[in-house]
Amino acid sequence: MKNVYIPQKAVIENIREEAPDTRTFRIKLVSKTSKFHFLPGQFIELTVFGYGEAPFSISGKAVNNSFEITVREIGTVTRALFRKNIGDIIGIRGPFGRGWPLETLTGKNVLIIAGGLGLAPLRALIQHIIENRSSFGEVILLYGARTPQHILYKNEIPEWQDHIEVHLTVDKGDSTWRGKVGVVTVLLDDVRIDPQDTIALQCGPPIMMHFVSKKLKQLGFPDENIYLSLERLMKCGMGFCGKCTISGTYVCLRGPVFCYSEIRGFIEKIPEAGV
Amino acid sequence: MVRNFYKISEENLYILLDRLGKEYKIVGPVKRDDAIFFEYVNDASELVLRYNGRSLLPIKKFFLPPREILFEYEIIDNDVVIRDKLEELQKSRTVIFGARACDITSLEILKKTFSKDFEDPYVLTRTRTTIIIGVMCEDVSPTCFCYQAGSGPVPKESFDIFLYRLGDHYLVQVGSEKGEEIVSSNADLFSKASPEDISKKDIMAEKLIEKMKKLDIPELQSLYSTLTSIYEATLWDEYAKKCLSCGKCNFACPTCYCFDIHDEVDLGLRYGARIREWDSCHFLSFTRVASGEVFRKDRSSRIKQRIYHKLVYSVNDIGITSCVGCGRCIEVCPASIDLREIIKRVMEERGI
Repeated sequence: MKNVYIPQKAVIENIREEAPDTRTFRIKLVSKTSKFHFLPGQFIELTVFGYGEAPFSISGKAVNNSFEITVREIGTVTRALFRKNIGDIIGIRGPFGRGWPLETLTGKNVLIIAGGLGLAPLRALIQHIIENRSSFGEVILLYGARTPQHILYKNEIPEWQDHIEVHLTVDKGDSTWRGKVGVVTVLLDDVRIDPQDTIALQCGPPIMMHFVSKKLKQLGFPDENIYLSLERLMKCGMGFCGKCTISGTYVCLRGPVFCYSEIRGFIEKIPEAGV
Repeated sequence: MVRNFYKISEENLYILLDRLGKEYKIVGPVKRDDAIFFEYVNDASELVLRYNGRSLLPIKKFFLPPREILFEYEIIDNDVVIRDKLEELQKSRTVIFGARACDITSLEILKKTFSKDFEDPYVLTRTRTTIIIGVMCEDVSPTCFCYQAGSGPVPKESFDIFLYRLGDHYLVQVGSEKGEEIVSSNADLFSKASPEDISKKDIMAEKLIEKMKKLDIPELQSLYSTLTSIYEATLWDEYAKKCLSCGKCNFACPTCYCFDIHDEVDLGLRYGARIREWDSCHFLSFTRVASGEVFRKDRSSRIKQRIYHKLVYSVNDIGITSCVGCGRCIEVCPASIDLREIIKRVMEERGI
């Protein structure tokens, strides 16, 4: 029997400062025979040997069988990861979970709503959309960050704007900021969308998704047209440890991306549902 | 499935266990501080063959230990060598003697839980390298309701041999190929069971069922739809006021399987081990993520998590309820929270 708890060795290929306390790591499996294939929205379990293991959503693909994760320095494993350098060895398990609904999105308009670090798993999707641009209708990104400094992927956003519509807002501006100030829901007033023919995808802090879900329902989005990526403690990633469950549903197996109609059906109420 | 019957004397049963002890590690009921515990024994004579009800703690720890090393590693410069602990496990052979129907049924639940989308190699290896020789309860414990839980007093599957005591002999029911092998390779210790002997097992079971029927609680599987409709009921807040969130019910439960994983490292930061340790859904820390967010802050939400897991979520996840009715959570609860009383309250809510 395969031991699904043993991580595969991987090497840090690149580290990029993204925002305060936030870095993007490019990671590649050491074994030449292992292919790393993932779907946007899936996550991995990353081991920093000597410290432990934690789940991270995949923030994008990179050339040559490598992938990227975008990490905020916040706990034991991330603090240890931030001390690592290019060329250092870490451990990887996965990818795990169910990502964004690529088949459902095909041919549809896509409204992407992200808050803070929640843009990470959506960046993987944005890359996929841009690569297959003709498969999708109108695509709009609404992104809110704490301050202009906290905006992720600053260098890539101008490129994205060649292919998709991008609206930004910050909670608190600075002297250089000429854009919107306010929470991400204010951006929903700026765009024209047909809720019946648009799929809304969101990822961000629970409080953000709470208000975005409410707003989308007010705008007339049917439950089936709203998707959310939920953050829970996915310790094992394989449906065993029980820590990530909501209403008995394993977020690591059936999520982290859920359709709003599934979340509404949970008997255990969650903040992200907005009700 | 194999369903052959034999007979064995108590004297020969000890001989059988000693013979098995040459090839297998033997686990069975021993008496400590006036309670029955399942432990490893060196000699079959240490085992307590006759006792009423079930042991204080379940046999879960022999499949999912309270704390176990999943693998060890050594950090050498910029590389790491991983030593998988599974290999050692695959070599081990154990006989668990004396398991009751509730605990035997709990193994079925653990097997299903640990082989859904992925296979947990540690738990499943142990279930495959362990022989189960169960023994029918002599009497019920004060908190037993295995009949309503559908787990006993006679187990449906997951045993190799199941014994019913008939005076100084045991009726032997074979439940697997492995069980049949044990009988055939120790044929000198067994005799044929008469139809009369076989019929006695039903009388024994009936006696226990009659006692449990007096509890006046419904079959647990019938509570599913009621529970889904009363999640917001105030009765949960009443229990939240009593519950101490100590987690004893989780640790005494034969089917509570949730765990935490963390690494332990030597002071020189060279050798490390990945540890899996039982966790409790009653602990505030259970759902805490790195950002500090806790998803079950209210005690009532944590009480509901355990009860709904057993009676609702488990049905969705593995197709069966996961309370086996052993009543251990009732026996160990320092706040005297009684699952049977909760079940009665749930039935009353149904009328509202």
